[in-house]
Amino acid sequence: MRITLLLLLVTLVACGRARPAGDGAGGETFRVGLITPGSVADAAWNEGAYRGLMAIRDSLGVEVSHVEARTPGEQEEALRAYAAQRYQLVFGHGFEFQQPAERISAEWPNTVFIVTSGERVQGNVAPLVFRIEEGTYLAGLVAGGLSKTGKIGFVGGIELPPIRRGYEGWVNGARRMNPGIETRLTYLNTFDDAAAGREAALAMIRVGVDMLHHNADAAGVGLFQAAKEQPGVFVFGANADQSRLAPDRVVGSAIIDLPRAFLTVAREVKDGRFSPKVESFGLAGGVIRYLANPSLDSLLPGTVRTALAAAADSIAAGTLLPVPR
Amino acid sequence: MDPTVDFLAAAIRIATPLLLAALGEMLTERSGVLNLSVEGAMLAGCLASALGAHWSGSPYFGLATGALGGLAVATVFSLVAIRGRVDQVIVGTALTLGTIGVTGLWYRWAFGAEGLGLTLPTVVWTPTVIAGALVVTVSVLLRSTIGLRLRAVGESAVAARAIGIGVERYRAAATAVGGLLAGLGGATLVLGQVGTFAERMTAGRGFIAIAIVVLGRWHPIGVMLAAVGFGALTALQFAFQAVGIALPYQLFLMLPYLVALAALAGFGWRARAPADLGRSLS
Repeated sequence: MRITLLLLLVTLVACGRARPAGDGAGGETFRVGLITPGSVADAAWNEGAYRGLMAIRDSLGVEVSHVEARTPGEQEEALRAYAAQRYQLVFGHGFEFQQPAERISAEWPNTVFIVTSGERVQGNVAPLVFRIEEGTYLAGLVAGGLSKTGKIGFVGGIELPPIRRGYEGWVNGARRMNPGIETRLTYLNTFDDAAAGREAALAMIRVGVDMLHHNADAAGVGLFQAAKEQPGVFVFGANADQSRLAPDRVVGSAIIDLPRAFLTVAREVKDGRFSPKVESFGLAGGVIRYLANPSLDSLLPGTVRTALAAAADSIAAGTLLPVPR
Repeated sequence: MDPTVDFLAAAIRIATPLLLAALGEMLTERSGVLNLSVEGAMLAGCLASALGAHWSGSPYFGLATGALGGLAVATVFSLVAIRGRVDQVIVGTALTLGTIGVTGLWYRWAFGAEGLGLTLPTVVWTPTVIAGALVVTVSVLLRSTIGLRLRAVGESAVAARAIGIGVERYRAAATAVGGLLAGLGGATLVLGQVGTFAERMTAGRGFIAIAIVVLGRWHPIGVMLAAVGFGALTALQFAFQAVGIALPYQLFLMLPYLVALAALAGFGWRARAPADLGRSLS
């Protein structure tokens, strides 16, 4: 019986964790690994990275691999596992990978570690910085222009610096249209619990919020369900085009074109042109965008439309800082 | 709507999946089985209900398949831990971890790696009505002959066997009912609330349900009060954040758990678990 139990445990744990592919031999073929902090079926942050990885595979014809690692211990171990198998390029998809990558990078000088939404360069660790606030500013501007109650709400997964910056951009954008706008902020402390996302949204709607935005990955899906149930409430998608989650309630999405950013970096590394630096992406390069949902376009008054275009131009030109430093 | 009514509705909504799972776990524990795979059974219920409702287009069919999803996990538990007499804590934990992997894999296999955002039909209050009816049923059943035997099995399996009660049969049946209810609780999350499946969407509710059993002192009415209390505190937590009180949000996030801990410390000492809880018949 003990052996049965052991087998059961091993099988179950093996089912729960995918392992990096590859046999660990040689460095001839170019190989790219991706570690996401959550499920790639989140319609947002992690899905974008997975699409990026697929774009790298298809455009550059290289070998790719993906694993999920949620805890700091697993994340460091996953980075180490790829490096030990001589992957030339490893993406740690999120701010939380910065420190683990820095800790292990010196041991593996032949691997480039890219930390998406990271903060600084150290050795062969380089961040991709997404000026996510440039997109959320535009979403906030539209929300500020459309809100009838003068109250907007934001639901965050966990308070990480990029999420905080996205929130600040959203608020500043809304203030541009309505300086007296009231804002609400809720953190869920989870990126998975979609029911909690829905309850947080419903609690905001109860106090009069009619425009919602999030950065909570799969938990954020709950917001779309809440908006579908409540008349006059609209949502703005985050990180990916989320209009399909509630086609008649999503005004637009603040998106990060992760595939484009991933492909840019992978191409540089593969061609040997890469030198570790802070790669920063914003509206100007088209990696950050505000994507309106065409079927709700008629909601926008002319003044909002004009302000949106003007703000987008000034941000791209660098004359408007969505979140002053 | 009236804010108080809205708040109570939120509290009951949040409590419903917890109450269903906790009622099931209470019955299981009363038979002397400590089944820690509630979280896994709930998650299996989430996926099975999504698949069932997606396939049939009916939320009621989805609730039924969700319950069966929970039953599937409980059946594995039953075979290994009750019949095979492997340590219940280990089997329960392994099953929960395994279900997280299996449900994620299955979901991606069924709907693609980026398959989030199903639009499933929902029923808002049906699970709550079911949960309420179950509280009454279970209260009555516990006083019947079957209920008495079930409790005897949980208090002293050896004595129960001596008077001719089929201990393992009772335990397997109680575990199966526990699985059905946990699966139904998971289905409630999908078909009563979110309208789609998301990986790991139970987010620890199965473990909270186990705590609710202790808080409710292994009694259906107590379990109901504990579940609704926890739901109310969680709703309050969201309301505080939404109103925008200028306190660190972490305090609000902690609130339901802190109160639950305080309640356990405060009244827990008088509660007594079934004497043979977690022990295999030897």
